[in-house]
Amino acid sequence: MATALMPTPTIRRSGNPFHFNSAAHLLRIEREKATTLGELLAALRNVANESIFQHTFRTLQEHHFIREGFSNDFAHWAFAACNEVGLAERLAAVDIREFTSIQTLRERIVQITEDYLQRNARARDRAAMEPFYFCASDAVVVPTPFVAGNLVEFADALNRVSIHCIHYHFIEARLRLKLNSNDFSVWLDQELDLGPIADRINRIDIYTSTLQDVRRAIIRNLEQGFRQSPQTKIEQMR
Amino acid sequence: MDERKNSVEERPAIADPSAGGNGGPATIKSAVTDAPAPSRERRKHPRISETPPAPPPAPRLDDYEPIIGKPQLDELRFLARPLRGKSAKMVNSTAMGGGVAEMLNRLIPLLNELEVTTHWDVITGGNDFFEVTKAFHNALHGGEYVLTKEAREIFLMYNEQNRQRIQFSEDLFVMHDPQPAGLIRARERSGGRWIWRCHIDLSNPHPDVWGFLRPMIEEYDAAIFSSPSFARQLATLQYLFYPCIDPLSEKNKELEESYVQKVCDDFGIDRTRPVVTQISRFDRLKDPVGVIQAYKLAKKYVDCQLVLAGGGATDDPEGAVVLQEVMDEAGEDPDVIILNLPPWSALEINALQRASTLIVQKSLKEGFGLTVTEGLWKGKPTIAGAVGGIPTQVIHKLTGVLVHSVEGCAYQMRYLLTHPEFAAQIGKNGREHVKENFLMTTNVKRWLLLFQIMLGMVRKEKPA
Repeated sequence: MATALMPTPTIRRSGNPFHFNSAAHLLRIEREKATTLGELLAALRNVANESIFQHTFRTLQEHHFIREGFSNDFAHWAFAACNEVGLAERLAAVDIREFTSIQTLRERIVQITEDYLQRNARARDRAAMEPFYFCASDAVVVPTPFVAGNLVEFADALNRVSIHCIHYHFIEARLRLKLNSNDFSVWLDQELDLGPIADRINRIDIYTSTLQDVRRAIIRNLEQGFRQSPQTKIEQMR
Repeated sequence: MDERKNSVEERPAIADPSAGGNGGPATIKSAVTDAPAPSRERRKHPRISETPPAPPPAPRLDDYEPIIGKPQLDELRFLARPLRGKSAKMVNSTAMGGGVAEMLNRLIPLLNELEVTTHWDVITGGNDFFEVTKAFHNALHGGEYVLTKEAREIFLMYNEQNRQRIQFSEDLFVMHDPQPAGLIRARERSGGRWIWRCHIDLSNPHPDVWGFLRPMIEEYDAAIFSSPSFARQLATLQYLFYPCIDPLSEKNKELEESYVQKVCDDFGIDRTRPVVTQISRFDRLKDPVGVIQAYKLAKKYVDCQLVLAGGGATDDPEGAVVLQEVMDEAGEDPDVIILNLPPWSALEINALQRASTLIVQKSLKEGFGLTVTEGLWKGKPTIAGAVGGIPTQVIHKLTGVLVHSVEGCAYQMRYLLTHPEFAAQIGKNGREHVKENFLMTTNVKRWLLLFQIMLGMVRKEKPA
């Protein structure tokens, strides 16, 4: 079993403790709006990065409690307001975890929409049932009181922090790190030498889980590090 | 004392033999207004008083912890910390009555508890001023209006009087709605950052009225709207603050099950059978007649009762007409329960929503639709018209279901009543959606963030 190979985690202490942060967001209403898919495409090329971020990364946070059927606002609008199921499916399949920059994410969304409109020219100017209003997110980093120096403290904090904190470190992080990873996995790997656990945590599916599910899945993975240890703190916390 | 005299509406009961009615609807008097108020309400024991009860004390921040959790409260405290020593002033047009005053009555104590000193002033004026601002309000919603020179002068004169009367010594000034918008002229003396909070839908404003107000609005540092669709193209920054509900208010707080049962007993609602409820004024735009038609279609396949509860039938002549139309559509069906409630019925409305199997809000036109928010907060599967701010709250098949017709509404009633697991899931999602986006505490956070941004206190994290 993989856990049998794990180092004893509770005796390992990181020299660089993990500081749990969160982010608070305020929505700005942007000038751009789209009443057709053609207008959406034009706006997608020009809107601010904060707007692409809002309608992809942030919307996932705003709808963190939904386990299925919600991915990003563009896909939702293509389906609900434009009735373009084929486009909606392709946009919904865009996995933000594969992107470490907003620019490449924007290019992907533009490419999908462009391809679709080339093959479905009549869809370009068909009026949507509702306009798409571009918004943008102003984000402010909010520190929390939680700091972890070892696995026990890490799991304890993870159980207590807000869902927004999980989103900040687990999902938004890749834009900061410019890595296909997340703050939790990077710290577990680099500071506690828990590479296999870090990898498993990084593979948790955010599109078929709520953020509470994600939290539980991370803790389940961390528990494996406790198996050989008399430390039962996580069990006690449940 | 004659108990019936104290009831808001006296009416013969259909199912209540003690009332001595003949089982049919009748026109009777309202105790409050003495105006005819026909109804088929089956209230057994009149309980709603003629006068509004004293408001309960405003909640403290810690009271919200069981609802939103400690991390969220900590976040509010953190965001408030840099604002200590700063002060804000909010100005609106009324201290009591109306959604804005209700919201400020909750928001301002919370900001002050967070040590962000926040004052509240109410703009004053004569009847002529409020006639003009009421006309502006309707015109900004798209109504017909002829903007006269006199109306402009009245608006500006009272704004100038208030500018001289009110002290502007704070760091931040928030003007709510158009009435005090002209106070921006105080900026020359006061400095500070100025924010205009627009609670109304400006998507289709009367061009003359908007043309008159717009130059004032564009002098503000920021404007806030309740929906992107309500906003206008402006030279100033625009922010989105969703309307919100207070989970600790009378209308939304948790209730004892015994109280919910008592309200149902009093109104003749059988909780052993499904209850479908629409809470709204008797107003054609809320389509209560359409709701009854949908109920009739659904009832061919599923057993249920329909509760239509609202007000507006006693103080609004059109409301009385609509109520009559509703009663005509309901006919003699004893499972249609129509309740014309006074404005201070928050607890009863809360109980009715909690007793419901489904909530309906089949509006044809809507602002944000806070009755939808209330239903979602109670975890109720919700069927709502896809209009106004409703689609922001009801994401089809995820946090509720959206409908566009009587037939669609009927189908969703049937589906949700026969698929309780799906109904429970969307109800649960709906509550989470409100918790995340439409609670008073979320709006406190928005204000704190905006204040920090306006005062240049934050380092914004820009995604790249």
